[in-house]
Amino acid sequence: MNRKIVTLMVVVALLVTSGRFALAQSQVGTLEITGVPTDVAAGRYDREAGVFSADVREIGGALITVKLEDVEITGKTMEWRTDDNYLLFTVDARLTQDDFELTADQVEYFGEDKNLKAEGRVVVTTEDATVYADHLDYDEETDEALFTGNVRVVFSDGVLEGERFLMLLEKSELQFFGSFQGEFTDEENGEQ
Amino acid sequence: MRSKAKIIIIALVVLAIAVYLIFHFFAEPPPPPVSVPPSVQLLESRLVGRKDGARQWEIWAQSVLQAGESVTLNDMDEIIMFQDDEPYLFIDAQRAVWERKPDILYLHDAVVRDEDETFYLESDLLIWAGSEETLTSPESVFIRWQGLEIDAAEMLLKAQENLLYLKDDVRIRDGSMLWRVESAVYDLDQERMEFFGSLVLEEEVGESE
Repeated sequence: MNRKIVTLMVVVALLVTSGRFALAQSQVGTLEITGVPTDVAAGRYDREAGVFSADVREIGGALITVKLEDVEITGKTMEWRTDDNYLLFTVDARLTQDDFELTADQVEYFGEDKNLKAEGRVVVTTEDATVYADHLDYDEETDEALFTGNVRVVFSDGVLEGERFLMLLEKSELQFFGSFQGEFTDEENGEQ
Repeated sequence: MRSKAKIIIIALVVLAIAVYLIFHFFAEPPPPPVSVPPSVQLLESRLVGRKDGARQWEIWAQSVLQAGESVTLNDMDEIIMFQDDEPYLFIDAQRAVWERKPDILYLHDAVVRDEDETFYLESDLLIWAGSEETLTSPESVFIRWQGLEIDAAEMLLKAQENLLYLKDDVRIRDGSMLWRVESAVYDLDQERMEFFGSLVLEEEVGESE
């Protein structure tokens, strides 16, 4: 089979997997702060502003975790604006769901806009591939994930690199913007 | 004849002391430094607690038992707590004990409300420390206030600072949110909560799409 087609199929699989970004709007969501000594205040809630914030950077072993259905987001600092359902995780921010994992310096979820943004050292890992980028912008409505800045898609048999990479998840379509270059290993011949 | 007169005089003196106590000692504190019999029971009395001349609380009771420095009140009408000489909180309690010297008021099986009933508090034991202006519940407490429902194993309210300290197995329900924390401090003026130790928040997210 043409290597390009195989590669694209793998990437499509990656895209379908990354459709799991969608934060479902039902059930009970939980927020947990663990590993905090009883005499230390790690969380604050401003009722008037509707803002909850937590910071456990200085507390060894402490972690903030948000769980919604089977999506889990962790980090060392967080801010949650309850009025517009905005969630911000920074420092060791990590979003996981089954075999899917997103890590970044910062992960933001805009509940009203149904949009997820990740910034700084973005790494998306699935069973099939790993995508590195500076930014990720995922729109739940359109089911599109846009990776920008030093994008690098690593498969078991190759690498694709570029500046802008759009995944149209619903259409199972990939769009590469600007120059993109790939490098693959021929499994049969061991060639590149 | 003489002994009869003696009896009448003694009875009048006792009556006069009782009347004096009712209308002067209990009715208008700060109490005058008079010698009080070790155990006196009065009926239908009003007790007023003051600090620096300002009313802090007021109690109408059917039964008042004075024993040393301790005053026990039963069959009480509503207790009124004052702030800046204005009624602030209204308390229904089964029994109250006022330790006069340290100015501590113990309220058993108490229900506290504010004027427009936006504040509601239930506790088996409430302790009002007049000198510090603190209200403590060393036992479990339930509070309903401005849409919040709070359960805690212990509570301390610092009235001057308007800070509410909640300790041990604290549960705060705020609409669809339920906080479970080890302890919390709620700034009532700023409407800010600070959570100590580990925390769990559960929230009903909404309808399925």
